[in-house]
Amino acid sequence: MPSVAIIGAGPSGCYVAQALCKARADAAITIFDALPVPYGLIRYGVAADHQGTKAVIRQFERLFERQGVRFAGNVRLGADVTLDALRAGFDAVVLATGLGADRRLGIPGEDLAGIHGAGEVTRAWNGYPDAVAPPIGRRVVVLGNGNVAIDLVRILAKGAAEFEGSDITGEPGAGVEEITIVGRSAATVARFDPVMVKELARLAGCRIAVLGAEGEGKGIEALQSLHGHAPEGAAKSLTFRFGLTPLRFLGDTAVKGVEFSDGTVIFADTVLTAIGFEGDAARDVLLADASEEGVLAPGLYATGWFRRGPRGTIPENRADALALATRIAADLPRDGGKPGIDVPGMTGFDGWVRIDAAERAAAPEGRVRAKITTHAGLMALAQNTGETGCK
Amino acid sequence: MQIAVLYGTETGNAEMLAEDIGAHLGDHEVTVCNLSDFDPTGFDPAVLYLIVTSTYGEGELPASAQPFGNAMEAAAPDLTGVHFAVFGMGDSAYPETFNYGGKRLEEMMKNAGAVMLGERVTHDASGDDLADDLAFPWAEAVVAIAEPALAA
Repeated sequence: MPSVAIIGAGPSGCYVAQALCKARADAAITIFDALPVPYGLIRYGVAADHQGTKAVIRQFERLFERQGVRFAGNVRLGADVTLDALRAGFDAVVLATGLGADRRLGIPGEDLAGIHGAGEVTRAWNGYPDAVAPPIGRRVVVLGNGNVAIDLVRILAKGAAEFEGSDITGEPGAGVEEITIVGRSAATVARFDPVMVKELARLAGCRIAVLGAEGEGKGIEALQSLHGHAPEGAAKSLTFRFGLTPLRFLGDTAVKGVEFSDGTVIFADTVLTAIGFEGDAARDVLLADASEEGVLAPGLYATGWFRRGPRGTIPENRADALALATRIAADLPRDGGKPGIDVPGMTGFDGWVRIDAAERAAAPEGRVRAKITTHAGLMALAQNTGETGCK
Repeated sequence: MQIAVLYGTETGNAEMLAEDIGAHLGDHEVTVCNLSDFDPTGFDPAVLYLIVTSTYGEGELPASAQPFGNAMEAAAPDLTGVHFAVFGMGDSAYPETFNYGGKRLEEMMKNAGAVMLGERVTHDASGDDLADDLAFPWAEAVVAIAEPALAA
């Protein structure tokens, strides 16, 4: 029986497993994750008020519930197990760990207090274990022109009542008065999906101004249609600006504003950067060895954002994962195979089932779940040490 | 009865539902097929077609249904005598385009002369219902209507 280890239980890793289940029903598949909970960016990246997007989880639950895929949580590659050990133990190892680090602008003042990356912020708002939500002030600048930037401004612009049906942790934009979203390029090349832009027209407590969105196309039309949005009693404002290249951050210890290359200054007490994500040096080394797309070495593969970079939504990464699974299915041995390995301290899918049930049961009125936001809290349930019985 | 469950998907949700419907109707002769692999000139009046589709972007067909949509336009097949039903999957978080994929496929089939059985039902990803819980009764009702219709 051939064995497969997939590293990362986010959407890309789960899609590889799903396709492999169909193509090679004889394969024994283990999905490892650094956390004791599965689903990666679906749980911790997809915005808390986009629960419909998270519905793909129903597909992945089946992998573990019915299709015999093993979940091995609480295993961090490099810390709890080495890549060499996994390659020695499994016929195929698939790296699907995504990209966790916020890309930096590389301009003066970037380390001032009050400047935070989108990944850091969204993890905290999504209840990532032990992530601390950065304080958000009254005047916020969001740098970036992709869907992650739109997620940030939408969540900051919403009031508590607008999170009905979500699983958000807290109300991130409670004290916000002004939001400015700034793109380096012209509006015509902004990478927002028009549907994400149009969604902002439903903000109930935020006025919207769109400055400098000239041109043609669906994206421009979506932006222009927002201009002048002014719900009654709106206490917040959102302004879109384009064609401004950040030059430096202003301030001594805490950020006071952003200066752009044309001399424009926008004052702010909080700056959120959403200009992409990146990997580490180890990823660069691995990808440099790739002989062809997705194949890094015999029996070692990569998919999703780890391979492709921080581009593309769930469907695009699914297509990549399906293509890779076809290749792996052909490479796996027909007879025999390596037996796979266990890693000390790993937690199972049953642990996640207990966590999931506890989070749903704790959901406050108007929310679908209350996430457990500490690693210790997750581990207590994952290892079932939370149930101590009679004392 | 011969039943073909055709699905248009982008994230795999509609594919899983199509497979579930196929398994649920296991007493019949059921095939489950991705719309991307289905040739619109191959519709057969002896077969009941259950179409399951999502919606993407701004109300567009999902990726796997787009080649089918294009082929329907290009081939303009005469589907007189063909019976079908549509189950849509949408997300009411995007109300302007909710379940446009299902609407488009319904229009395409009707314009080609095919007859729709029952009502087009839509599952809402942001709602509380499981897709299976809506789709199984829908499929059973359509099959019940189809038995006399296809025999005629």
